[in-house]
Amino acid sequence: MKRCARVWLTWHNTVVLLTRERTMMCETNNKNKNVLIDYCSGALNEAQAREVEQHIAICGECRRTVEAQNELWRALDQFAPPQVSVRFNAGLYARIAEEDCAPLWKRWMRRVFEPAVPVAIWKPAVSLAAVCAVLTFGLMVRIPNRAENVQQIRAEHAVDIEQVADALDDLELLTPGSAM
Amino acid sequence: MEAVAALERDAELMLRVRQGDTASFALLLDRHRVPVVHFLYRMIQNQAVSEELAQEVFLRVYRSRERYEPTAKFTTWLFRIATHLALNWIRDGRKEKGQESLDEDLIEGMERQVAAKQLTVEQEMLNEVKLREVRDAIRMLPAKQRAAVLMHKYEELEYSQIAKALNCSESAVKSLLFRAYETLRARLAHMA
Repeated sequence: MKRCARVWLTWHNTVVLLTRERTMMCETNNKNKNVLIDYCSGALNEAQAREVEQHIAICGECRRTVEAQNELWRALDQFAPPQVSVRFNAGLYARIAEEDCAPLWKRWMRRVFEPAVPVAIWKPAVSLAAVCAVLTFGLMVRIPNRAENVQQIRAEHAVDIEQVADALDDLELLTPGSAM
Repeated sequence: MEAVAALERDAELMLRVRQGDTASFALLLDRHRVPVVHFLYRMIQNQAVSEELAQEVFLRVYRSRERYEPTAKFTTWLFRIATHLALNWIRDGRKEKGQESLDEDLIEGMERQVAAKQLTVEQEMLNEVKLREVRDAIRMLPAKQRAAVLMHKYEELEYSQIAKALNCSESAVKSLLFRAYETLRARLAHMA
């Protein structure tokens, strides 16, 4: 009896642990997907890091993600760039000197067309150009003359009247009383 | 506390540059030259081009000195310029042109490493393969994801700074980073 109870308890604990793991693993991952990345990069504060540690102790998926992220971190550390060339400063100062000696209009043009940070000036410019294009197209398209329209309608009506007259004549011919 | 002081110092130096103090510009250059060149090198993977672009970054800083306002962190502004230039360079398709010297750079870099650490031939070959795989994995990322990862991993910039550098929202940066790290983990899983 005692042995049975122990087996049952072990089984129950395993089931509880597995269920807990399954329910917890997606919670952290789905709520804030970057929390594990932040944990690996050391961006979390002490309390947050402790919380993640407690979570990964019971969540297999998050634990594996953390391990993989740490491995990746170590792999990325191998990508060491070469030393900066000793000619770097000299080259830069030569370019600055050239810049300072350039004519004023050239310097102004560079400031306008090569700003330090991109200015999204093209967006309103494109909108304006589109509006101008639509207006120009609208003005260029020939608006039909009203007088011409009236004449055309009259001509159409005239044809209709002739057709009606012809139809009436045909009707008269076909009617037996009128033939007499 | 030190970081805040350094940031204030950067802004202060830049304000002095605005007033025509070239010595302050030299100090700024000394402080930020290496991170900017390294960021551009990892982005472009060509030493000559990365240094040329880094010079362009500092030239643009110098050119805009008169209009500088310390509204954001100096490093954020600097990396925004660097990112803009790198993304433009990649977009313009000049990547292929510079690709020729990639292997030369790699061999040169490896020779330096070997000389420095006196590695055995096996270790040297293993490191070379690993380094090449890491470089390839980074190069294969979309340009924006690559920039976000490099600024996050190597330059240790905050999400807000990366967002400003990439001209997007913080949530967009988090999404970019999540996808980029996921791709990198998958590509470099065999190195674990």
